[in-house]
Amino acid sequence: MSQYDPIRERVRAGGLVILDGGIGTEILRRDLTWSDHQVLDRPDAIRGLHEDYITAGADVITTNSFQLAHRSILGHFRDEAHMHHIGVPGLDTRAAEMLAASVELADEARKNVGGDRPIAIAGAVTTLEWCFRPDLAPTTDEMREEYREIAEVMKKAGADLILLETVNSVTEAKIGLEAVRQAGLPCWVGFVCDEQGVLFTGETLADAEMSLAPLQPDVVMVNCIPPDDATAGLRELVAARKGPCGLYPHIGRFDPPEWYFTDEYPPPRLLEEAVRWKKMGATVIGGCCGTTPEHIAALTQGLREL
Amino acid sequence: MTAYHRIRELLQSGPGVLLDGAMGSELVRRGVRWRGHGLRTDPEQVGALHEEYIAAGADVIRTNTFQLNDRIYLNVFRNPDHRRHIGAPGLETRARDLTHKAVEIARAARDGAGKDVAIAGVMAPLEHCYRPDLTPDAAAARAEHREIAAWFAAAGVDLLLLESMNNIPESRAAAEAAVATGLPVWVSFVMGPEGEILSGEPLEEGASEMTGLGVEALLVNCAPPDDAGLGVEKLRKGTTLPVGAFAQVGKFDPPSWKFEFHPRFSRSDDWPPERYVEKTRAWRGAGARIIGGCCGTDPSYTRALRKVM
Repeated sequence: MSQYDPIRERVRAGGLVILDGGIGTEILRRDLTWSDHQVLDRPDAIRGLHEDYITAGADVITTNSFQLAHRSILGHFRDEAHMHHIGVPGLDTRAAEMLAASVELADEARKNVGGDRPIAIAGAVTTLEWCFRPDLAPTTDEMREEYREIAEVMKKAGADLILLETVNSVTEAKIGLEAVRQAGLPCWVGFVCDEQGVLFTGETLADAEMSLAPLQPDVVMVNCIPPDDATAGLRELVAARKGPCGLYPHIGRFDPPEWYFTDEYPPPRLLEEAVRWKKMGATVIGGCCGTTPEHIAALTQGLREL
Repeated sequence: MTAYHRIRELLQSGPGVLLDGAMGSELVRRGVRWRGHGLRTDPEQVGALHEEYIAAGADVIRTNTFQLNDRIYLNVFRNPDHRRHIGAPGLETRARDLTHKAVEIARAARDGAGKDVAIAGVMAPLEHCYRPDLTPDAAAARAEHREIAAWFAAAGVDLLLLESMNNIPESRAAAEAAVATGLPVWVSFVMGPEGEILSGEPLEEGASEMTGLGVEALLVNCAPPDDAGLGVEKLRKGTTLPVGAFAQVGKFDPPSWKFEFHPRFSRSDDWPPERYVEKTRAWRGAGARIIGGCCGTDPSYTRALRKVM
């Protein structure tokens, strides 16, 4: 029996579920570099930030695995031969090892501070190529194979569900979702959208719902966009979808390769927005880049009181 | 131009030209968090490293600008509008601003040392240096390299060094743009495992093409020491211009998060300075007139090379 079971019941009954906040940006705020996920080098720091989100009240915590895939590593070389020629040893299996470690650290955090409350671990799996660039997407055959591999590793490592996040096209969402379902895991999907709530491919969230519904994602959301854009996305999503909807926006600005933190949305203001989102029909709410355990604590407390 | 006069003389006679060693990988090894090339957050560390290379005896120091261009601040967005919508303030001019800053830091290091070293403005492929398949079309490459070359010319460098160039068409576009500034230009190719340009094009062909464009020297870099000697021989077959090499030591340890080139190299213990210097004897024997160090090297390599050059 997975700790996700009671949470899934709550999701299906339309109850509130709190997702955690930013992971990569929280690594930066703790003075570590984001160029590496740090799951092997600084496990204590990663476990610690999961623990902080659990303590803040998150029901579902996400693994520190944003865009962590073999493709991301191989992409720094011309090809495999070049990687073996000038790369450090072990790169063939590094992504899989780090993915497994990301799940294990979340699990350790849950054991350490989770107590009796059910807390689910969502394996975070992102668009295979760059999240804001649907034009770079690999072929569907490559997608199928790579999502299958990632879902298998996540499942074996003990993820309760997979969160396909910052997905930028219906095609990639569908192929990712198929792979996760084939691996036998529940799946949530988060899309990135524009100010009108339209995907970067021009596809609508209604298109997405039509294509994904037969594969039964437990929750569909929008994420990694500013709060106002998330509001637009949520409006489209709620209009198109019968099942549970959610969102987790970013706050601050992308400052590649890092993040520009702003105080535009301190925890009380994010809560005000979240109260509005809940009234609009969102039942799963959390934070993306730039949000902190303090934001999640404010959401947990404020939304539960409604 | 006075600083480059001395370099031109060294190219013709004497022991040749000593290039400095790595900037990026050494800054990362020293704990600089790799963002904005460390130029905004750790300018004193960047300056200190230049000073160490000058003190170690380098004739030419290179600006900390490898793969610093607007694409690294644009490719991660959907398009320029999206960058304005969710990007941090100042991203539109970030590459230009950092390039100016990098030149300023190198000039300050030279002024402080009071030595007549030349400052090479480092230009590089517009896309990831190890991904020739991503190279932009010729018109885009020309326009963007022209802009970058102009930043360096305005900021005040003694020469332009096109580093880790991974294919002939972009090298041509970049070299033409660089030569048009009136500054002396050197072009260096990144080698693949087979001893060719990383694109698979022959080095001899790259050398001969560049020779017709008015560049002053040709080099190979960003390859293991064992490969560089072959590179020098091949360059010599394609040109009568001075040639050179600066190899990487250790292994490339890429970031797990997808992004632009991140200069993390490890295990450089395989190639201590003495062994590296020994290896360069063969390159010099094959006719190399310019020697330095690429990723993974540090000022101790420059010092060791100075002793034999």
